Amino acid sequence: MTSLLRISLARLRRRRARALLAAGGIAAAAAMLGAATTVAYSLGTGFDRAADRAGLPDAIAQFDEAPVDDVRPRVLALPNVREVSFRLEDGGVEVFSEGNYTRHAKVQGVREGRRGYAIVAGRDVRARGEVVLERGLEREWGVRLGDTVGLHEFRSDATLRVVGVAVTPDSVAFPLANGPRLYAHYEDVRDFMGERPGAVNIALVWVQNPALLDVTLAQARVASFGIAELRFVTREGIRSLIGQAAGIVIALLVAFSLVAVGAAVVMLAASAAADVQRRLASIGVLRTLGATPRAVAAGYALEAALVALPAGALGLAAGALAVGTPTERLLEALNELGPGIAIAWPLLGCLVGLVAIVAVTAAWPAWRAASRPPVETLAGADVVHVPGRARLGRGTLVSPTLRLGVRLALSRPARTAATIAVLAAAASVVLLILALAALLQRLESDPETVGKRYRLAVTAPAGAAAEIGRLPGVAGAAARYEVAAADSFALGESFTVVGFDGDHTRFEAPPLASGRRLDGEAEVEVGLGLAQALNLSPGATLAVQLPSGREVRYRVSGVVRALENEGRIAYVGAMRLRRAEPFLTPRIAVLLERGATKDSVAAELRAAGFFAEPVGGVTVQNGGFLDVLAALLRSLAGVIGLVCLYVLVQTLALTAQERRRAVAVLQTIGAARSQVAAVLAGSAFLVAAFGALAGIVLERLVVGPAASGLAASYVSLPLLAGARDAAIVTLGLAVLGLLAAAWVARTAVRRPIVAGLRED
Amino acid sequence: MTGDLGANAGRAPVVSAPLVSARGLVKSYGSGRAARRVLDEVDLDVAPGELLAVVGRSGSGKSTLLHLLGGLDRADAGSITVNGVRIESLSQAGLTELRRHQVGFVFQSFHLLPELSGFENVILPGRLAGDGTRAAARARSLIESLELGEAAARLPDTLSGGEQQRLAIARALVNDPALVLADEPTGNLDAESAAIVLGLLRRIAAGPRAVVLVTHDVEATALADRVIELRDGRPA
Repeated sequence: MTSLLRISLARLRRRRARALLAAGGIAAAAAMLGAATTVAYSLGTGFDRAADRAGLPDAIAQFDEAPVDDVRPRVLALPNVREVSFRLEDGGVEVFSEGNYTRHAKVQGVREGRRGYAIVAGRDVRARGEVVLERGLEREWGVRLGDTVGLHEFRSDATLRVVGVAVTPDSVAFPLANGPRLYAHYEDVRDFMGERPGAVNIALVWVQNPALLDVTLAQARVASFGIAELRFVTREGIRSLIGQAAGIVIALLVAFSLVAVGAAVVMLAASAAADVQRRLASIGVLRTLGATPRAVAAGYALEAALVALPAGALGLAAGALAVGTPTERLLEALNELGPGIAIAWPLLGCLVGLVAIVAVTAAWPAWRAASRPPVETLAGADVVHVPGRARLGRGTLVSPTLRLGVRLALSRPARTAATIAVLAAAASVVLLILALAALLQRLESDPETVGKRYRLAVTAPAGAAAEIGRLPGVAGAAARYEVAAADSFALGESFTVVGFDGDHTRFEAPPLASGRRLDGEAEVEVGLGLAQALNLSPGATLAVQLPSGREVRYRVSGVVRALENEGRIAYVGAMRLRRAEPFLTPRIAVLLERGATKDSVAAELRAAGFFAEPVGGVTVQNGGFLDVLAALLRSLAGVIGLVCLYVLVQTLALTAQERRRAVAVLQTIGAARSQVAAVLAGSAFLVAAFGALAGIVLERLVVGPAASGLAASYVSLPLLAGARDAAIVTLGLAVLGLLAAAWVARTAVRRPIVAGLRED
Repeated sequence: MTGDLGANAGRAPVVSAPLVSARGLVKSYGSGRAARRVLDEVDLDVAPGELLAVVGRSGSGKSTLLHLLGGLDRADAGSITVNGVRIESLSQAGLTELRRHQVGFVFQSFHLLPELSGFENVILPGRLAGDGTRAAARARSLIESLELGEAAARLPDTLSGGEQQRLAIARALVNDPALVLADEPTGNLDAESAAIVLGLLRRIAAGPRAVVLVTHDVEATALADRVIELRDGRPA
């Protein structure tokens, strides 16, 4: 056994070039794995990491300003409450610094007690005149510690000095969020707002047992007499809130990463199998000398592991670095924290898994080969399977060198199939990325994607709908009411209630998953996300807790596949909703006539005295955010492209090595380097063409639907690549094939022709 | 010193400007103490229409000489002229052109490409030279004259050794080269097939074309116009 291991080590030392080639493949796969793991782990754990670091409360209660001495005893008297702290928040504040300006800022006055945010630079507020900025604002405006920030509102002005930068994962970051948040001394904010001493409007609540939070919140409702406009947001609710902005995107990326890991495993297995196939002769020799199949397999496993360990480590590090920056930027946009050194653990796990996979995939074919009679193994090493000629075209349209290359590839059907499988997996992932990018664009700009048929929205009284409906180019107009609510039996489960005057399906109609459309004011259509969260089905009752404190009960008529708010949405008739919430302000949804444009109708509306806003898709509104996503996807696509190039190079290098005599004969009868390259290109085109074709089929039938399902079970996402994407991937693989052929041919023709002729 | 050490009896000496002229050829393999000089100052002329047989023991440098004459390998020293072209100064592209148009090779192991049919193997040098149409006509003519009609449609591994070698000879001739180099062409053949192949080589060494034949076969030397024997890298 020891001697066999020694043989493996010696073989590794003597065949450095080949070991380097194998190491290159492993490094490429590891890079893909590292990139996927980094993205998946960072995004999958980003919220919890930031929430833990910030000490995010289990529930945040918002209410109209009330004396802290009145609120505190009531909160502390609630069951399960462990700790509470209070803030005074002012919204819609104008903030300016370093030539930048916004009028949507929220300034929170922090009192003693736990903060609920994490300081990532500088320090916390200690005295009056100091302010801590959220990280998004600091990055976007380039504000530094020690700079000043001006605040203005109505008759108040204040200038504060920046002493720290904080991250709070209870909302996405500025500028993805409309306005930034600033944390100042309580007394500064109170003075700025002109409030009475001790006034607060936010309570941060930490509980003993988060599983019993619902009970605590229900008790809070009972004990809230005298406190107006009480609203709760729970930690789970915040997770959902963040999800509104980017949840689907994150889930899709995690889904992509899983697919990418699968592709990496396929590639490693194919690479190892090809390597053993190349060494059949030496396996036969070892068996002839008396080695057992187990010992042969162990030797190959060790050799593979010795190559895989450094190559894998290098590749994983490279992959992680490649996507590290865009992932970090994405996390910043979501107000979440990067994993830091903690990413080392999953990457270490990947390395162990990778080395194990490489060792097993090397040992398995070696064991199978060694289990055959030695004479068969020895003979098998030199046998070149020649395909039947009937399977190949003899037309004169294709160059004879390309045709010969195709035949060379077909002479190794198992390897060719493995290569095609790897390329297909990679192609399907790239197609998924392209489909994802297209979907992101549609989600942002095309309201039809989220089931909205109206293109413009006007903030106006409900009575204006009739007038707007008569304007040229307008096919219909109706008042649309929207209000945040919670389930009466599970107050932590928040959702959005949408009420239309009249038939909502004319304006907004996500497809039905089950049941039927609502019929009358007593019924509701619920999104699949809400139905899953509350276990609702047609015929069930939905008890809606509105911000006013009133409860309205509806019978569920149907479940719809709504994308908005992660499917946590309920469509009802407007009349009953308005009775329960009389002060709701509607927006008029404007349906365009066929042929009318948004611009022309907006102009008509302007002329009539209405200001129209275009309707987008989901709440991802920020171009910068999409840029970050695009950069991330580009990094991943780049890594996959390199993997494809490696797979093609390795396949062709193996072909050139095994068919060295054929290459030498070609040179002997007058083939130039370009013609040798053309032969190899023929092999490359075969695997590239079939790889692309299989990749397209795989994406349409398996990867796309699987990623879509993983991303959002509550909606049908169109994640299928189009013809243009398929053409791009096919062309890309063909170009990579040409590059690989040129590279390998360059090396192959440098070898002495005479040496090639002597090969048998 | 010349390589013309003895003409084969019964053959008229060829009197013409040499098609191949080699002077002072030196080729060594290995380095340091393992270095071995395989060819040592060899001079050689081959005239048009001549069939030259090169004999010698294993390792005497016969095949190396053939490889140098055909531009498959480069000499350490000396010069070679083939059909008026000095090949030691040619680039790789120049050597490719030489092999494509001036030289045809026949090997002991035939070296037909197993993925191609007999006909496709024969026509391949013509297609590589970009002369597919003319090469096709010539390939058909050669196949017909060599009585390979049936073999041409089949893959090499289904053919006998004699058929494969005749296809290899047809392939060597398809671009109508001035020089045919045959390395032990009968080494893997039975006596009957060997006789056919040698007869063919005898026939093609005519007109402006010469054949250099490396062989151990006594029958082959009997057919040659001239025989040279290499011993320790030098003509004996």
